[in-house]
Amino acid sequence: MNDELEQIRQRAEQDLTAASDSQALAAWYAQYLGRKGEVTSLTRRLGALPPEERPAFGQAVNALKTALQESFDRRQEEVRRAELTQRLEAEAVDVTLPGRAPDIGTLHPVTQMIREVTDIFAHLGFQTVEGPEVEDAYYAFDALNIPKEHPARDVWDTIFIQSASREIVLRPHTSPMQIRTMEQSTPPVRVVVPGRCYRYEALDATHEWHFHQIEGLAVDERITMSDLKGVLAEFARQIFGRERKVRFRCDYFPFVEPGVDFAIDCMVCKGVGCRVCKGTGWIEILGAGMVHPNLLINVGYDPDRYTGFAFGMGVERLVMLKYGVQDIRAFYQGDVRFLAQFNRAAA
Amino acid sequence: MKVPVRWLKELVPNDLPPAEIAQRLTMAGLEAEGISEIGATWDRVYVGVVERVEPHPNADRLVLATVNAGEHHLTVVTGAPNIREGQKVPLALTGARLIDGYSDEFRMITLKPSTIRGVRSEGMVCSEKELGLSDEHEGILVLDPDAPVGVPLRDYLGESVIEFEITPNLVHAFSMVGIARELGALIDAPVLLPELADLEAVPRDPGLVTVEAPDLCPRYVGVVIENVRVEPSPEWLQRRLASAGVRPISNIVDITNYVMLEWGQPLHAFDRRFLHEGRIVVRRARPGERIETLDHVDRELTPDMLVIADADRAVAIAGVMGGLDSEIRDDTTTILLEAANFNMLNIRHTARAQRLRTEASSRFERGLDPNLVWTATQRAVALILQLNPEARVTVLADAYAEPRYPKTVVMPRAEIPRLLGIDYPDEVVLDVLSRLELQPEIRDVDGVRSVVVQVPTYRSDINIPADVVEEVARIVGYESLPETLPWGQTPHVTRDPMRRLIADTQDLLVAAGMTEIITYPMVSDDDLRALAPGAEAAPDRYGFFARPELDLVTARNPLRSEWTMMRPTLLPAWLKNVAENLKHSPGVAVFETGRVYLPRGVDELPDERPTLCLGFAGERHAADLYHRARPVDYFDVKGVVDALLPRLGAVDIVVRPITHPSLHPGRAAEITVKRQPVGIMGEVHPVVAEQFGIPAGQRVAVAEIDLKALFNTGLSDVELRPVSRYQPVEQDFAVVVDEAVPADAVEAALRAGAGPLATSVRLFDIYRGPAIDAGKKSLAYRVTLSAPDRELSENEIQRIRGRIERQLARQVSGTLRG
Repeated sequence: MNDELEQIRQRAEQDLTAASDSQALAAWYAQYLGRKGEVTSLTRRLGALPPEERPAFGQAVNALKTALQESFDRRQEEVRRAELTQRLEAEAVDVTLPGRAPDIGTLHPVTQMIREVTDIFAHLGFQTVEGPEVEDAYYAFDALNIPKEHPARDVWDTIFIQSASREIVLRPHTSPMQIRTMEQSTPPVRVVVPGRCYRYEALDATHEWHFHQIEGLAVDERITMSDLKGVLAEFARQIFGRERKVRFRCDYFPFVEPGVDFAIDCMVCKGVGCRVCKGTGWIEILGAGMVHPNLLINVGYDPDRYTGFAFGMGVERLVMLKYGVQDIRAFYQGDVRFLAQFNRAAA
Repeated sequence: MKVPVRWLKELVPNDLPPAEIAQRLTMAGLEAEGISEIGATWDRVYVGVVERVEPHPNADRLVLATVNAGEHHLTVVTGAPNIREGQKVPLALTGARLIDGYSDEFRMITLKPSTIRGVRSEGMVCSEKELGLSDEHEGILVLDPDAPVGVPLRDYLGESVIEFEITPNLVHAFSMVGIARELGALIDAPVLLPELADLEAVPRDPGLVTVEAPDLCPRYVGVVIENVRVEPSPEWLQRRLASAGVRPISNIVDITNYVMLEWGQPLHAFDRRFLHEGRIVVRRARPGERIETLDHVDRELTPDMLVIADADRAVAIAGVMGGLDSEIRDDTTTILLEAANFNMLNIRHTARAQRLRTEASSRFERGLDPNLVWTATQRAVALILQLNPEARVTVLADAYAEPRYPKTVVMPRAEIPRLLGIDYPDEVVLDVLSRLELQPEIRDVDGVRSVVVQVPTYRSDINIPADVVEEVARIVGYESLPETLPWGQTPHVTRDPMRRLIADTQDLLVAAGMTEIITYPMVSDDDLRALAPGAEAAPDRYGFFARPELDLVTARNPLRSEWTMMRPTLLPAWLKNVAENLKHSPGVAVFETGRVYLPRGVDELPDERPTLCLGFAGERHAADLYHRARPVDYFDVKGVVDALLPRLGAVDIVVRPITHPSLHPGRAAEITVKRQPVGIMGEVHPVVAEQFGIPAGQRVAVAEIDLKALFNTGLSDVELRPVSRYQPVEQDFAVVVDEAVPADAVEAALRAGAGPLATSVRLFDIYRGPAIDAGKKSLAYRVTLSAPDRELSENEIQRIRGRIERQLARQVSGTLRG
């Protein structure tokens, strides 16, 4: 009797080893452990045995069942693994094929630069505000200490707007917002103003009639020209690299006194002199200075109590310097092959 | 302004190299734009003396000149008609680099030994042209008799010329003396002012000069000089003018120009023979009065222009240009020398009106010091007497009703640290201000310790304490300022919500694969007309915006005819950009966030509305391994709008069909948010596309959205809903409706029926065909249902299905397909 069980066990184990896929395993299971399987049918013979033999036989059959079930589970796991391995091998791909890339566009380089600059100044406590492009001549000139017929108005060749009695212009700089901002608030004032500006100017590689500026203004009780230098140096090093040297030199703008021309050492030649810096070693970045007392008076601030600094920079020029753009007109020709190159995440 | 360095060093003796002079002045506010070197190429050219001139044995027009230049002593063949024994001349040896005197173009040659008509020549005597000094090639350049024989010509005649840009405030620096004063102050060196004539003792003859317009002519000095001889100026004077960029003419005219360059005060000399009655009248021009100026242009004058007249007629446009028929001639013997101060605004106006900007007018326009008039007269008379010792001088007039005196400026001593953030010792402050001739003292003024300065009348730019601070800072040097950060309270944080909306819009569209463009904000009438197919007149809508009843914002002086008005829509520029990009790219996906300018009335500033224009053209997606390219259509732009608006916080977004002049009649829609129109979208009408240069057959889909209007609808922030822990249930509905029923109505009915448990309603198929009636369509939706607090029972789901069915029947006459 036990011999018979042992024979079944040996045969079953052999067949199990031979079963190498899920189908064969299922067949094996049906043959031995299924409802009509050989092992299951053994229990039916239980009744035919004398009662004293029954417990021993029952135990033997159960032991066989358990052993075979364990073997089956083990084997099934092996087969599954083998089958999976096989399937995965069959699924191998050329990993160098192009992926399904989402389209991602690009922001205009001028927008990117405005964001970068305003972000730097935001960290220094400057808020970003905007103002009108179609502007009253009072804000564009008069309030900025540039009276009618002042020779300084020559510097801004202006596009004028048709009007009846009020002089209206396309703003030639973002400086009108110095006045508007001060009129609308009380010190402390710290703002930066990005925006479009316009000049009556023939186009060439370095001149645009339409361009962007960023104006800056800080007014408070203890604002000094050294603060101006510190703030501008901080800004320039953020944009053009920590190792930049900065230069302040005397310059003239009617709405500041003292006036400043702010330059950085040329990043192309490191200050030795080259074509980019026209041999001077320095690249002029922006004009700046201490707010002229007449402006403070024009907006009702006490010039004996408050001082301020202001600066204004050309956004396109910053991009041109940073990336070596040769022709300013490229910004507004809108060729996507040019624009799409400005595709780096935060610089 | 061109500044010859030799000249400058004569006024301020120093041995700084030109580059350093340029750099020091640049830092102090006089920007050097460049340095040019006269004589940089003059190797192997020396100062020689002509010892002998003999005829050429074989040629009538040539001579043999023996020239001694110290170490170099040789005989050269020359055709120069002006060569004489005893002259000092430039002698070029073989190997010298010269300009080809016989070529009309600028061509450099290297001098080689040559044999001319049988006589060997080892060198050459040079013309001005050959040396690059001028175009003159009629004869050789004759040097001054005291030129040192044997020295390299470069050492004698070479010159560095620094070109400065003079900012409008620095009137005083628009002259050699002014720049010398600046340099002297910077390097702490004395300025040697040129010799002036003493005119106090000369005879006076008043009565012949009348200033009828003292408002426009604060000062007028007239001096008569008799017994002068007009001839070419001496070589040194010619040379100096030429190096400063002024063409020498004759001694008298050259002296007026020289004094103008030296002192910044323009002068004019008349031939007195041609002044009727010998009189000078300074008056406004008469209506219709004419004058032919020195440039041979006959000009009409208007009564707002100031003229210098004689007894009968204008003989000069004051401060701008002299008249032709009283100009100095070769036979002039008596001159009237004029030095005057004119109203700067009037000169500026006249020069502009006459389109005649001269060396004189550009100086008067800046506002000159009236006290300069007398100094310049003294200087000019000194020079004229130097060249014409026999001349007799009579002062006719010095009409100067309101003399200008030095002014006092009081600067609180504390102003320097208050503005600069750094202070300098009193000695330093006093020293630099003294160097600037401001006679500073430190004393109490009204109890405030102050620096008191006396500002010379030529420094019209120093008026307030801040001006004095700048003087101190720029002479000490701006490099002395430390770098600090502002101290004190920062303003309250306020962020412009419109800027944030624009930035969010840009970021979302970039993430959606679109490229940002920025276009010119001006358009032409033609651009706007092209927005309607074949229309003669402008369309009634410009993109999203209704055509304003008022005139658009229009330039008085447009730069080009294509940019005459501030745009009322972004559409034309967007379409032009697309047309350009389609020339090289099969598909275009671009957007712009810019302003449109809507008029609010004459003399009113316009409404500048932030606006978005976005769209696609050509192929959508480049064909690749995974997609096939397909033409752009309406749903590309709608898809982006559908994704964009909710993310910007818009709720209750409704799209309805419209007819629009620029859009495809069957594919045009208006977008409303909370019932407010905020934008339009659609496929561009093919005729409109074509007018903007987009090739026929290329589909273009565009949207224009008024971001201000969108913002004004009240954009909402995220309203967080808890995520249900229970399994959601998906239910499909095939809804049969009439063809005319819009999909959003079906969806609305579905949502109404499903109620708040519907977390998503998605249309996934549209069927038309034999399985349903003609004129009907079947829309297949998948509705996801989920309750936050329970598993939905079969019962509940059946109730919802029932509600949906009733809503569909009621709202869109829809039935569910089995």
